[in-house]
Amino acid sequence: MSAATAESVSRPVRGSGLRGLLPLVALLGLWELLGSPDAPLLPAPSAWGLAVWELVERGRLAPELLATLRTFATGVGLATVLGAALGLSLGKSPATDRALGPALEFARALPPAAMVPVATLLLGFGETAKVVVVVIAALWPVLLNTRTAVRGLDRTLIDTAHTLQLGRLDRLGKVVGPALWPSIVLGVRVAAPIALVITLLVEILVELDGLGALITESQRTFRSARAYGLIGVAGVISLVVHYLVGALERLVLGYRRSA
Amino acid sequence: MAVWELAVRTGLADYQSLPAPTAVLASFEPLIASGELPAHLAHTLTVTLAGWVAAAVIGVSFGVLLGLSATAYRYSLTSFEVVRAVPPVALVPAAVLIFGFSMSMELVLVVYAGAWPLLLNTLGGVWAVPAERFDVAAMLRLPRLAAIRKIVLPAALPEIVVGLRLALSMCLVLAVVAEMVGNPEGLGRALVRARQALQPEQMLAYVVTAGVLGVVLNAGFRTAARAVLPTTETGEGAGAG
Repeated sequence: MSAATAESVSRPVRGSGLRGLLPLVALLGLWELLGSPDAPLLPAPSAWGLAVWELVERGRLAPELLATLRTFATGVGLATVLGAALGLSLGKSPATDRALGPALEFARALPPAAMVPVATLLLGFGETAKVVVVVIAALWPVLLNTRTAVRGLDRTLIDTAHTLQLGRLDRLGKVVGPALWPSIVLGVRVAAPIALVITLLVEILVELDGLGALITESQRTFRSARAYGLIGVAGVISLVVHYLVGALERLVLGYRRSA
Repeated sequence: MAVWELAVRTGLADYQSLPAPTAVLASFEPLIASGELPAHLAHTLTVTLAGWVAAAVIGVSFGVLLGLSATAYRYSLTSFEVVRAVPPVALVPAAVLIFGFSMSMELVLVVYAGAWPLLLNTLGGVWAVPAERFDVAAMLRLPRLAAIRKIVLPAALPEIVVGLRLALSMCLVLAVVAEMVGNPEGLGRALVRARQALQPEQMLAYVVTAGVLGVVLNAGFRTAARAVLPTTETGEGAGAG
């Protein structure tokens, strides 16, 4: 619950529209006018675009983007399934909760960055290590939201299921599942941006493949225009992810209201 | 933990990659005795706290400005939203480019990442100030700065406290990441070096230290906030959920 509430606190209520873009446009415009495309550290914005376009033409950007999106999607998917399952069992049984609670609290406090060397050491440099770190970091919002929702489940819902003599699976699929769905989706909305950040982080640290690795490579070879352009690409992906999870949430919650 | 220890002892898990918890514990002693761990810990802690304070000043100032001036807000919020979309982590390579492998690189990143939650929470807090309070300020003919100091900030304090807490963990995370990528000191650097030196027990010792530091900072902040501002406890609780 904590992550979800924190997120809702830090989300501005109103947008400011296109005119709100003025300072950014002005800044980039000034930069473009005053900067030179060959400046070693702070090349003009037009150079960023050209550098990224060159990557696109050479066919280097697409595979790295795909790698990033694959790690991200796998991570979010696994985090959702695992988080919901763990949250369900922890919420249902206070005994399990007490037994695992302290261990989970500590695992949650570990900075994800610190987990990267541990994961690569245990699992080698590969997709598995990357996904594991992403899942560990993105798991919590889903887990905590599900756990809170299970604890707050209406007693009569469960009793009704018992009265109807529903089996375990039916109870989960027809009664508990639909009641928990909105909380899980809220957890995913918080988890998805975290998963994206951690995916980039892992790629920057592991330097195997993906957008993050490409940014680090640009930095190492002092191609600053390319690095800035790619960071912009990361920003665009992040905006798209925000938009998509927002749409997913509206879809699910809207469906619930009409049902 | 017990299962882990047993698995390593019985040879189920390979020692090369996963040392037993006791081995990790044992590795703390030489690290502390040689002064390595305390030095790295002190570095990370200093950068985190210094960056956090600077982030608080910047974040709260911008938050108050945007919260009070509708014009400033209308003509800048989308810019802030777009810039915020770029994950701070992705900026690490850019910071390394501009500032080199240095402490200023680390500090800039820590301040930048910490300023966001403070800005947004301050903005939310200022918006939540009841309108009558502004009338009171106008009636008392308080100068602008005095009104902010005496009326706006106290009313927005619960939200700012939540922002301070979010920012503190952000600062620590970014400090560790920046150290791992480029700064020659700190827990993050030590962690990477221990990994490259194939000393997994030392590496895990640093991981545990970083985790404990996170927990201690969070708990310390809560205690301090409660001691200094007993009335804001509810606000903080709401944010912490």
